[in-house]
Parts: sequence; C-alpha cells; structure tokens
Amino acid sequence: MKITPRPTPSKEICLANVYVWEWPVRITHWLNAMAIWVLSVTGLYMGHPFLVAPGEASEHFIMGWAKLIHFYAAIVFTLSVLTRIVWMFTGNKYSSWDKFIPFRRIRSKGLWPTIKYYLFAMRLPPGFVGHNPLAGATYALLFVAFLVQICTGLAMYAASASVDSPVRFMAALLPLFGGLATAHLVHHVIMWFIWMFFVHHVYSAILMSQVEPTATLESIFSGHKFVPREDLIFSGYRFIDRETHKGG
Amino acid sequence: MSESWFIEELERRGVSRRDFLGFCGVMTSVLALPRSAGAQIAEAIETKEKPTLVWLEFQDCAGNTESFLRASRPTVADIVLDTISVDYHETIMAAAGHQAEAALAGVVEGKPGAYIAVVEGSIPTGENGAYCTIGGRSAQDIAREVCGGAAATIAIGTCAAFGGLPAAAPNPTGALSVADAVPGVKNLINLPACPANVENLVGVIVYYLTFNRFPKADRYKRPLFAYGKSIHDNCERRAHFDAGQYVEKWGDEGHRTGYCLYKMGCKGPVSYQNCPNIRWNEGTNWPIGCGHPCIGCAEPDFWDKMTPFYSHLPSFPGFGLHANVDRVGVWATAGVAAAFAAHGFVQLGKRWMYAKADESAAAKGAKAATEKKGEES
Repeated sequence: MKITPRPTPSKEICLANVYVWEWPVRITHWLNAMAIWVLSVTGLYMGHPFLVAPGEASEHFIMGWAKLIHFYAAIVFTLSVLTRIVWMFTGNKYSSWDKFIPFRRIRSKGLWPTIKYYLFAMRLPPGFVGHNPLAGATYALLFVAFLVQICTGLAMYAASASVDSPVRFMAALLPLFGGLATAHLVHHVIMWFIWMFFVHHVYSAILMSQVEPTATLESIFSGHKFVPREDLIFSGYRFIDRETHKGG
Repeated sequence: MSESWFIEELERRGVSRRDFLGFCGVMTSVLALPRSAGAQIAEAIETKEKPTLVWLEFQDCAGNTESFLRASRPTVADIVLDTISVDYHETIMAAAGHQAEAALAGVVEGKPGAYIAVVEGSIPTGENGAYCTIGGRSAQDIAREVCGGAAATIAIGTCAAFGGLPAAAPNPTGALSVADAVPGVKNLINLPACPANVENLVGVIVYYLTFNRFPKADRYKRPLFAYGKSIHDNCERRAHFDAGQYVEKWGDEGHRTGYCLYKMGCKGPVSYQNCPNIRWNEGTNWPIGCGHPCIGCAEPDFWDKMTPFYSHLPSFPGFGLHANVDRVGVWATAGVAAAFAAHGFVQLGKRWMYAKADESAAAKGAKAATEKKGEES
C-alpha cells in the first residue's frame, strides 16, 4: 500500500460548530445504554443464577428482584427504542431513517471508502458529519436486533402474563421464534450480538475521535460536532475524491 | 342407559352418591366452571346417552392407553369412562383381526357423525404410509375416514397432538400429528403430554357430555383448563425459584431440601399443563414433586426443542449437543474484542508510520527550500 504524505489537518482547517445530535437522540442513546447494562446483568443472573440464598425461601427474593428489575428495564428500553424510531421520522437530517439504510448514491458511495479506512487502505475516513454510511448500516442491524429482542422478550413475558395484561397478545409471535423454549435461545443470541456491537461501538467511537477533529466522543454528551467546513459544504464524498484524486 | 342403571352401577361398585357428587364438584373446579355447573354435570352424567368412542392407535407406545386404564381403586371417573361405549380399542378389545376391523367399520358406517374418535400415536406418511398399516390400510387412510366421520376427535398424547417422538428429527417415517395428517378435521382437541393425564381426558369427556362441545382451547388446540398455566407458575417449588434457591447437582443439600430444579434443566417455565395441581396417579405425586425436572412433554416438538433435558436452554446449533449459548457468546464477544484490539495496535503502528512520512516530507521540503534559497543567493 502506498502511503501518501499529507499535512496534519488540525491547524489549518477551519471548524464549524454543528448541532448534530438533538436531545431526544442523546437521551434515548443513554437510556438504551443503561437499559442494556441492567438488562444484561439481570438477564445473565436469570440464565445462570450463581447466588444461592441460604435459609428459608420466604426470607429472600433474589430471582424475584432480578426478574422485576429486568421487566421494568425492558419497559424503559422498549419505550426508548420506539421513541428513537419515531425520531427517525421527525428529527433533524442526521437522525433521519435514511442515514441508516445506504440507498442514496452519496451514502452507498461512502460505504466502500469507510470499509477501506477500517482495513488501513486509507489514511482518513470520509468526512461525513453524522453517521458514516457503514456505521448507519450497522445501526440498522442493531435496531433490527433491538426489535427482535423486544419481541422475543414481550412474547415470553406474555406467555405467562395474567389475563388482563396489555401485552398478552404478543404471545401470538411465539411460533415465529420457534416456540417458547427457542425464543429463550434467540433472546440470549441477540444479547451477545448486542455485546459484540458494544465492543465495536466503543472502539470505533474512540478511534474516530482520535483521527477526526470533530469531537465525536464528546458529541453524544453535548450534541455538537466541530466539522471541517469543506465536509459541511461538500458532505462526505468530496473527502473521498480528494483522497483518491478521482472525479465523481 | 337409564338413570337407575347408573346409580345401580355406582352402588354395585361401592361408590356412594356423595362420592359421585364430590366427583362432579372436582370436575367443576378442574374445568374452571362456576359452582352451579356441578349440578349440570351430575345431571348430564346420570341421564345423557353416553357417546360411542373408538380409539385408534398408530405410531405409539400405548402409554396413553395405560393412562386411560390406570389400575387402582374404582372411582367415579372409571365408571364414567366405563359407561362410555368403547366400541373399538385394539389393546383392550376381545375381538381381533377381521372381527375387530368389522367393529370399527360398524361404528364408522352405522353411526356417522355420532361417535367420538380418540387418536393415540402419530401418523406416518413416508413411503405412502407403509410404516404403519392396520388390516392392509395405512394409518393416514384410516384416520381420514374415522376422524372425518366423527362428531369430534380427541388427539391424546404428544404423538397424536404434535407428532411427538416419531416426528422428532430426522423424522424417518414422515410422522405427522392428527391436525396435519387429517387437514380440516372438525372439532379436534389436543391432549398432549407423555402420556396425557387421564384426569384431563375425563374432564374433556365430562365437559363434552354436559355442553355438547369441547372446552375453550389455546392456539395449539389444548383445552385451557388443563394447559392454560405454565407448570412454573403453579409449581410448589416456585418460592425457591423466586428466592434464588436451586439444586446445583443431584443429591446435594438443595436437592434433598426440595429446592427449585431450574438449574438442572427444568422446563417448567416453558411448559403448560396442570400437573402441579392435579398431579398423577390420583394425586399421588408428579415429576417435580419427586425431585426430577420437568421435560416439557406437553409442548410441540418437545423432543427437539426441550433437549438437552438437563440444561434449561436448548443447545446452540452447530456447536454440539451440549453447547451453551452463553459460553459461545462469551467467546465470540471476546473474539470480537481481540480483533478490535489488534486493529487498535495496527492503527497505532500506521499513525506512527504516517507521522514518520510527514516528518521526512517536511524535512525534504525544508531542505529543498534551503537549496532553492542557496541557488537564488
């Protein structure tokens, strides 16, 4: 691979302050993150109850609490995910649904250079202001995983829910997941998928905030990014063109 | 069958009228009916004409027949079952061969739409049904004719209800449940379990006698009175589950104390039946009561989906029989983390290389500038 020398951008580039992540995006992000932690810890206990309580059963409620916390965290998670999905249609352009599915030409063209960047074939990632197209596509998969997780969870809950429970109808989804026992398996598989995503997510966020001057890591707290003006004007693929010195 | 006949029969077997009314009361509660239904049930059993019943056995082990014939002290339930005119049942009928088949044909042709068909065992469809034939006819052929002409069909046991063991992977005989082998069969009710509990069979028959229809059923056509609640939710060991007290291995302190069998692979949380309430062998005991986890025998595809029986989750596909999904998940996540860590190191190396290249370029640029300056001056 040929290494093209380029001057470090930080000093020369004039940065624009852009409000990228609106407050519903940031709040649902952190609610999801906290809910995933709580759900995973309580869920792992439910799957592998390692604490064995001594004495009388009436004196303890360990599994009972784990289940209760799991169910309430699940309600928070479900509402948060649904809110974010609604926001895909009502929020600003950076949170819009079309940033998750790279069907626009500019987005699909940005996919390959981003993959190339991750494979060390490019020095800098193409400068998209919000999600890059690869990240967006990954989040689309993640949202599918969230929905499967919510549906299997609600279906399993509904199977034993009381007659007047508002989610009882969700038990009708069980045949879709291969029955109640297999739905449990699917619920575990998706949890691990989400944890693999978590590893990638944290790593990539740190990486991007290292190589881009945009304050990526800080932006999920503040909502603001500091974007090179040329990225703002020409959006992602001008950056690609400049990198490869090809027209397009 | 007159009223006096039934009362006489009760007396002859040493069952008092009090016992009979007690039975009707129990049935009322098993079927989750209002208390007033007890009198209706008593009247129906005493006075109504008992239906004719034919019992077909296909790919089965006769376990449900055993359940049906359970030998113990005579109870009202036995008498109710005895008074049902069982005109055909290979295992218990005296007739054999052509005479037996003639008895079946007599019911199917003589009382069309007026008898109840009970099917035990799955129906093989592979090799044109050659795996199970009776009198030269395939099981599917017989089932289609008999169930098609019946007023109602009871699929008893998991094999008849869902295919059961014969239909488990790889299903060499192409075994099907009654619902799948006889599409469009009317008034079908499933009584799965391995074997089905005779109390539930009696309950269904009593309900049918009283109301001329089957009780309300779930999406798998199982009557809700018997299969409406999970075993877990009615389990006598449930308090230990909620407390966090589990059997860790066979015969340990928890096992001897009667702790929850969840970690030993109990399928109670994913299985629906009234075992904890009515138990087995006239209320003597039931699997969890005597320290064995539930294996979920009344659930569809239990032999494929509830195994391994001693692990509470199905094994992760493609990683062997005992692959725990969470162990696979931990390793996969660790693998992803290792891959990103490696990426991080390569990334650091690359940045160092870029920095070097920039440096030398800058040095070259400076040198060139100095040389140019020198030439100019």
